[in-house]
Amino acid sequence: MGKLFFSQQNSDQFTFDLNFKAAKIFIVFFFLILVSRLWFLQIIHGEEFREFSNQNLLKSSDVYAPRGRIYDRDGKVLVENLPAYKAIITPQYTEDLDKLAADLAPALGIDVEDVIRKVKRSRRQNGPFFPVDIKRHLSRDELFKVELIKLDHPGLAAEEFILRHYPYAGEVAHTLGYVREISKKEIPRLNKQYDNKVKFKQKDIVGKKGLEEAFDLSLRGRKGQSFVIVDAKGQKRTQRIMNAIGEVLKNTPSQPGSDIYTTLDIELQQKASEAFEKYDRVGSLVAMTPEGEILAWVSHPSFDPNEFSKRLSPEVWRKWVNNSDRPLRNKAIQDHYAPGSTFKPIVALAGLQAGAIKANQHVYAPSSFKLGRRVWHDHTQTGQGYIEVREALERSSNVFFYKLGLELGPDKMATVATALGLGATTGIPIRGEVKGHVPTRAWKEKRWGEPWQDGESLNTAIGQGHVLVTTLQLAQAYSAIAMDGAVYKPKIIKKMEPAKISNWEFKEKEFEPTMVRHLSADTEADYFVDKKHFKVVKQGLDRVVNGRQGTARRARFKKPFSVAGKTGTAQVRRFSADQIYKPCPKRAKKEKHNGWFVGYGSFEDKPRITVAVLTEHSCTSAAAVPIAKEVFEAFFKKYHNLRVDDDKPKS
Amino acid sequence: MISQNLDLKIESRSALKRFNWDFAVVILFLQVIGIINLYSAAYSTDHLTGVFRSQLIWIAIGWSAFLVISRIDYKSLIKYSPVFYWANLIALVLVLLVGKRIYGSRRWLDLMVFNYQPSESMKFFLILFMAGFLARHKLQNFDFKDLVKPGLILGIPFLLTYKQPDLGTAMLLLAIPSSMILFLKVKRKVLFTLVAILAISLPAAWNYALKPYQKNRVRNFLNPERDPRGTGYNSIQAKIAIGSGQILGRGYRDGSQNQLQFLPERHSDFIFCVLSEEFGFIGGFITLMTFLVLLIIILNIARNSGDRAGALICVGVAAFIFWHLIINIGMVAGLMPIVGVPLPLLSYGGSSMVTFMTSLGIVASVGNRRFMF
Repeated sequence: MGKLFFSQQNSDQFTFDLNFKAAKIFIVFFFLILVSRLWFLQIIHGEEFREFSNQNLLKSSDVYAPRGRIYDRDGKVLVENLPAYKAIITPQYTEDLDKLAADLAPALGIDVEDVIRKVKRSRRQNGPFFPVDIKRHLSRDELFKVELIKLDHPGLAAEEFILRHYPYAGEVAHTLGYVREISKKEIPRLNKQYDNKVKFKQKDIVGKKGLEEAFDLSLRGRKGQSFVIVDAKGQKRTQRIMNAIGEVLKNTPSQPGSDIYTTLDIELQQKASEAFEKYDRVGSLVAMTPEGEILAWVSHPSFDPNEFSKRLSPEVWRKWVNNSDRPLRNKAIQDHYAPGSTFKPIVALAGLQAGAIKANQHVYAPSSFKLGRRVWHDHTQTGQGYIEVREALERSSNVFFYKLGLELGPDKMATVATALGLGATTGIPIRGEVKGHVPTRAWKEKRWGEPWQDGESLNTAIGQGHVLVTTLQLAQAYSAIAMDGAVYKPKIIKKMEPAKISNWEFKEKEFEPTMVRHLSADTEADYFVDKKHFKVVKQGLDRVVNGRQGTARRARFKKPFSVAGKTGTAQVRRFSADQIYKPCPKRAKKEKHNGWFVGYGSFEDKPRITVAVLTEHSCTSAAAVPIAKEVFEAFFKKYHNLRVDDDKPKS
Repeated sequence: MISQNLDLKIESRSALKRFNWDFAVVILFLQVIGIINLYSAAYSTDHLTGVFRSQLIWIAIGWSAFLVISRIDYKSLIKYSPVFYWANLIALVLVLLVGKRIYGSRRWLDLMVFNYQPSESMKFFLILFMAGFLARHKLQNFDFKDLVKPGLILGIPFLLTYKQPDLGTAMLLLAIPSSMILFLKVKRKVLFTLVAILAISLPAAWNYALKPYQKNRVRNFLNPERDPRGTGYNSIQAKIAIGSGQILGRGYRDGSQNQLQFLPERHSDFIFCVLSEEFGFIGGFITLMTFLVLLIIILNIARNSGDRAGALICVGVAAFIFWHLIINIGMVAGLMPIVGVPLPLLSYGGSSMVTFMTSLGIVASVGNRRFMF
């Protein structure tokens, strides 16, 4: 039975047999063609090709594109390229490494053993054709010596490279970022990230952090290709080109990277950076025009990006990483903090719009407020008496805002705060921005699974508890208050030449000021706040600086210059009952309060600049006010001809 | 009584014994050659260091696919082949509509995890579908009217792939199933007519069907010195690499064409150049002979399968490997224009490794099944 089945299956196998034979002949025929072709190339003409490969090699090599420069708003250079030289050794072409090292090391002032070890290790890891950097940044003298030694040792060469130079060093480090040689691990990741628009190779320079990273694609330009005839020792030759090529090769030039013009004002930037230095504070500062153009951006202490260009030494790196003040961190966007009293104007706006308080209504604000079994304190022990909203802002009365916050509840405060840009990233094209946080009832229930407590409304109203903001967000929000509710997206790029794609999602129109929303014009929106309420709050902010009991009187200017704003002292954590009255300066450093000052400066009653300053663990806002004042002063001097004697306050 | 004995004997054959060891060893040998050369190619550069390790992983995945598929009854694969075919056809249409554009042609579908190239998997499903179709219809000595349906089966994917445009893959989609049909023989008049049509349509295709870059490739192939920077440059460098290998080669990892990065795509399409430069004619010859042995083993499995569909699958897989090999080596040796076609089992690339191993797994499945009768 089985046999029958088998033979049946094979019924057409006889006819197939011939086909298999034909197929095999067909295959062998083609293989013969391939083998004879290999015979032709490798055996008949092998010697010629070997000769070609030995003597004259046609090699295409990359022509590096100069990286784009970065300027400030006046066209001052913030980042430039400087030519520099390095000594390289290619192991394959080195005849006597020991002798080369013995000749070279003393000329460059380095250790003979080091040279040999470096070359040997690279030979093992990267192969004999991969050039090894022996010393970067050769002096003129060293370069000359290398050129001399090179005559005896074909494996040695001096190579030009471009050094990225930051003339203002640490003063603008965080916005600009730095550049570094690409690491092996990054190559596949970046190739993928940029969708193979750029093919990264080892030793390529890539932007890290700040604008250098965000606009890396635009800044780096496009490499060109040049065709050179080199011999097997890698030396360039200009002799006649082998007849197999027959004609002179055309090179493709490199495309230089785009230059970026930022909105930064380096004079203001320097002033702000120096102010942190002068008052010995740690923190961040953002200064912007009310339309969102960032003028200065400081995160203090800072780092020197030139160290990265020069290949960072481990000691410097360790020093930065181990510094508890975290110089590498961009504190203006990477860290969020409780806004403290700087949140009160936002609560006031929400309260006025909701009708929870009238502009001239006086509220009793004693030194403490009892809710349930807990007593909530003002920062003064005397209390404020009967005060209206402007006075409450001027003196920063906690009890006034406890009462207001309790009546408003979290959601109404959150609507205005969110509309002003808090609780969301601003979209600044610099990596690492955090969102901050604005609490709502829904969030509380979702995140913690329990309902909102009234006590939390109290905390929220004075900018403590769950509220978290970045310095940049507060600058944006106060600009909007200064502009009666027009919220502008912060921007740092003025123009790019030539304008090209970036790896940041960036549209051409974003070079212009972009208004995100307008609180007093979008009458239908749930975040609508009437213009007259802005006027009340702005009067309050004015009194913070210029009123008799104001908390930021140090920032006063003589008319037509004026500053209005709000101070804030924010606890960094909740203290236990026995700790709460401990004087701040006696606390451990990390437990000291943060100080805030956020305000806008006007000239002839028109807001011109907003400055937000955070001083970490400074105990009071008194630390932040003078730093802001320096920036206001520099701004007024430069743009509105403030004379030095004008800035002395009357009293 | 006799048949009972026979049954026992068949059952006692273990899976290990049924496993076709020659077949597996030849495949493994080719992969080892590939890995050795890939190491040399990857080692010469910066951004290829990950390539070597991931190829090892792909080989392991390839073998798993091989073993799984070889345990599956290929008849069930044929049964479901229309489903695969039509699904793949839809994917090809989707590519033209919403495909991801890389370097000017739409070939990929973005599947979030990886980019899927439907025209590659089509090669495989086309073999299965065509084998099933031809086996069902029991045709031999094809006449014109018999060619209409098979012509449509292979013509539609060809046109869709050609539209992307991807001439290399399109030609393979044409060549592989055509080889299966030719294997079953066509009438002599049909053969002559087809050749005549091809001859007449070539000039027409040149004028109307080829894109400028495709024309350039052909022109550069006919005269590589025309454009030494572009495709001609690659072709010249490939020839120099192969030629300079001479008889014995320059030695492992000592090929200057490879190590100095003159060779384009050393690790993938041009891997044969690395082999020829560093191991010379001997190395290339041994590799070619191993491929020849592999193809003969596949055809022998086909001949002994005793099943028309199984035999046709094997012939299709043989054609699949054969055409890739001929086009790839023909291209690097300057016999054909440069088109992106990998060298089976040797070139770097996960999807090609898995596809080839899966197809070889089916051949093993056909080989296993013949003991089941």
